[in-house]
Amino acid sequence: MAKGKRAGTKKGGRSAFSGLSVIASAVLLFMVALPTFITLTVGLLPSLVAFIFDRSAGRTMARCVFGLNFSGVAPYILEVWMQPSQTVGGATQAVFQPLALSIMYGAAGLGWLLYLAMPPIVANVLNLAAQRRVSELRKKQRGLIKTWGDSLIKEVDRSGN
Amino acid sequence: MAEQAEDQEQDVSNGAATGPVMDAPGGGAPAPEEPEESPELDGVAINAGGKSVEIGNFRVFLDLRMPEFDMGHCKAYSADNLRREEGSAFALVTDPVLPTRHDHLTFLAGMHMAGQIDLIDYETAYWPPIGRKTMVLFYEKPAGGKVVAREHKKLAIDEHDIATVVVEPLMNAMQAFSEKGLAHRNIRADNLFFADPMREKVVLGDCASGPPGYDQPAVYETTARMSADPAGRGSGNATDDFYALGMTLAELGIGRQPLKKLNDQEIIELKLAKGSFQAIASHEKLPLVLIEPVRGLLCDDPEERWGLAELNAWLDGRRTKPVQANTEKRAARSQNLAGRDYYTVRSLAQGIAKNWVTALGPLRDSTVEVWLRRGLGDNDRAKALSDAMRQLQWAGTDKRSAEDVLVARSILILDPAGPIRFKGFSSMVDGLGFMLSYDVQHGKGPQRFADVIVRDIPSFWFGRQMGYSPEVQRQQQLYKNLRYYIQQQSAGYGYERCLYATVRNQHCLSPLVEEEYVVEIADLLPALEKAAETASEESWPVDRHIAAFIAARLEDDVEGQLLAMQNPSDEVEYSRAIISMLAIVQWRHGPDNLQNLSHWVARLMEPAIKVFHSKARRERVETEIPKLAKRGNLVELYNLINDEQERRKDQSEFVEAVAEYSEAESEVFDLESSGPARMELAEKVGQQAAAFASTMIALLTVSALFLMHIF
Repeated sequence: MAKGKRAGTKKGGRSAFSGLSVIASAVLLFMVALPTFITLTVGLLPSLVAFIFDRSAGRTMARCVFGLNFSGVAPYILEVWMQPSQTVGGATQAVFQPLALSIMYGAAGLGWLLYLAMPPIVANVLNLAAQRRVSELRKKQRGLIKTWGDSLIKEVDRSGN
Repeated sequence: MAEQAEDQEQDVSNGAATGPVMDAPGGGAPAPEEPEESPELDGVAINAGGKSVEIGNFRVFLDLRMPEFDMGHCKAYSADNLRREEGSAFALVTDPVLPTRHDHLTFLAGMHMAGQIDLIDYETAYWPPIGRKTMVLFYEKPAGGKVVAREHKKLAIDEHDIATVVVEPLMNAMQAFSEKGLAHRNIRADNLFFADPMREKVVLGDCASGPPGYDQPAVYETTARMSADPAGRGSGNATDDFYALGMTLAELGIGRQPLKKLNDQEIIELKLAKGSFQAIASHEKLPLVLIEPVRGLLCDDPEERWGLAELNAWLDGRRTKPVQANTEKRAARSQNLAGRDYYTVRSLAQGIAKNWVTALGPLRDSTVEVWLRRGLGDNDRAKALSDAMRQLQWAGTDKRSAEDVLVARSILILDPAGPIRFKGFSSMVDGLGFMLSYDVQHGKGPQRFADVIVRDIPSFWFGRQMGYSPEVQRQQQLYKNLRYYIQQQSAGYGYERCLYATVRNQHCLSPLVEEEYVVEIADLLPALEKAAETASEESWPVDRHIAAFIAARLEDDVEGQLLAMQNPSDEVEYSRAIISMLAIVQWRHGPDNLQNLSHWVARLMEPAIKVFHSKARRERVETEIPKLAKRGNLVELYNLINDEQERRKDQSEFVEAVAEYSEAESEVFDLESSGPARMELAEKVGQQAAAFASTMIALLTVSALFLMHIF
């Protein structure tokens, strides 16, 4: 019990530490590189929402959305960094362009779609594998019956009873 | 109830008085008596000498009957010895429904013994007049003819010559039998023949053609054995032969059979009431010279009866110890039963046996017990009777059966030396086998015998015997086996096993081979081979009789096979057991080629093939069977289905296959029933995979952007 409590405290502590480190990074980023901060904040808004609403273990949906969302934001971050004078106006202008928003949020949407599509695909793969195994086993059983005749079934029934 | 009792009583009275059927081969079996009446004359050659049939080394002429050499129930026919010129023989055709005596046949065959007719040979052969096989005995024709002429003219022996002409040779024969532990049991004036034309010596006639004492008139049987049914008079011992010799001397002296005018029942009652010698002496006029030996030989106490020593002394003219003619104690007052008065225990025992139902009253109300105490002063018997009565009180629900046992035991208490009597059944313990054989072959069935054994009456008989006797010990051991056999219901046991275990020369009574008169185990398979020609496809070649016959006759132990035959519903084991039994018989006794039987067995091997689980092995066996059946070898057929190594291999592979099949079945079940769990897993794995893919895409994108800016 005490062990469980300690473990729970440890997990909660790590989560709090992670949250604090994100906030600290954000504050640091806000103070040091405001244009980057604005680009990231606006671009990663779907991921933020996903992290807030996804309460499942491991937060797979949020991670899924974040991955592709970040892929969409990354070119604009790089664009901000490549400008000789990083200004809030330049960053805001670049971010709020419809094409940029579409790319960033579209990528987040693709992440969400990936999250939705992957389980059925995996389920189908698993089902196909099971069916293939069942047919292999049935074939093996037919082979045994061919070799040993009905007495095999009778014996199996008898031993089963 | 009363009617039943009356019927029962009637049956008992009739049954005991039944004598041997002596005028027809077959003993009442539906077979024609004379050759000319027979519609079937297969294998009969008709030549200048008339109809004849070749049996072994002899040619027997069916038209040439020799009534002067008829012996008991058997008919004599003229026969030529084809191998030997000198001497003349005759054939004695035995009754197929009466077993012959094995020990006597083997002892006498081919042996010359003074005082006994020479048995040249014996054969089992087809006898056309009765249309079936039977045993034919070939005897050397005595040169002087029969001693007692059929017309009962004046006897050919002077009373003063009887000692040298009759007693001396007969003593020699009896001594030879006695040394072999056998008894002739067929000594009577009617069975004596002059050995030489000068009529200086006699020889005894046949003693092996039927059950011991079967052909003896009641007067020739001892007081102990005379009340048994003719077939159940028992093998007996030398003392019984001496008694018969005494009666033979009496008949030769008188010139006719003693007490001829009386019927069997009257003779029995007279002998029981007066004692044997007194019974004869009071009705017949014995020559003075024969009174002493007849008195000594007819003594009713076997311990006191004259033997070889006394006879030798008499022959030498020496005086012998006087013998009390009647040792039976006579009561001061009579015991009345069914309107008749009885003064001796033996006569009362016989009276009880004859009045089975009415005897129960005096036994139950202790009248007989009181009579024993007060009338005879025999407290031992009275106490034994009282004990038997007490056991009746302990009887359970089957009171009627307990009452029958009481009556049977009471008879044995009163006459412990006498036969076992049970509701019309009357047989000596050493005659139980022959009695059973007679009952089974004459329509009475085995029930009476089974009743006696199941109710354990012989055990009581053994318990009533005084002193030690190796013969009684041997019989007791045999009886233990009989009781075990009769209690078993399955094939190979039952009354059939008792029959073949007790009567060595009993032919197999299976309907399949009965006509073939199979006495020896070696003849069984040839007979079955013949039966296989017409056997129906569904029938088995081993029935209860054949199983019991094999179990009793075969030297090898077949208890394992009999055990497997206990459950006919287990076709595999049942058929294997049958094939195994037949294969052992062929392996031991041949013949090598039994094509018909092999094909019969092959047809029935279908269940036995199931011993293999593998279809490939079964197919191989199925293709092998016709090939082996063609060769007629049952051993090979059996080995085919009983290859132990192959069977073990098949069995272990089968066990593995069963396990494999079960595992597969269980895995299939798991796969088919794990749908929801799999969906759950798929969702979890899918989500994780999506997250992983998303992360990887992000990493790749960032990496690619960096690389693009650098280069």
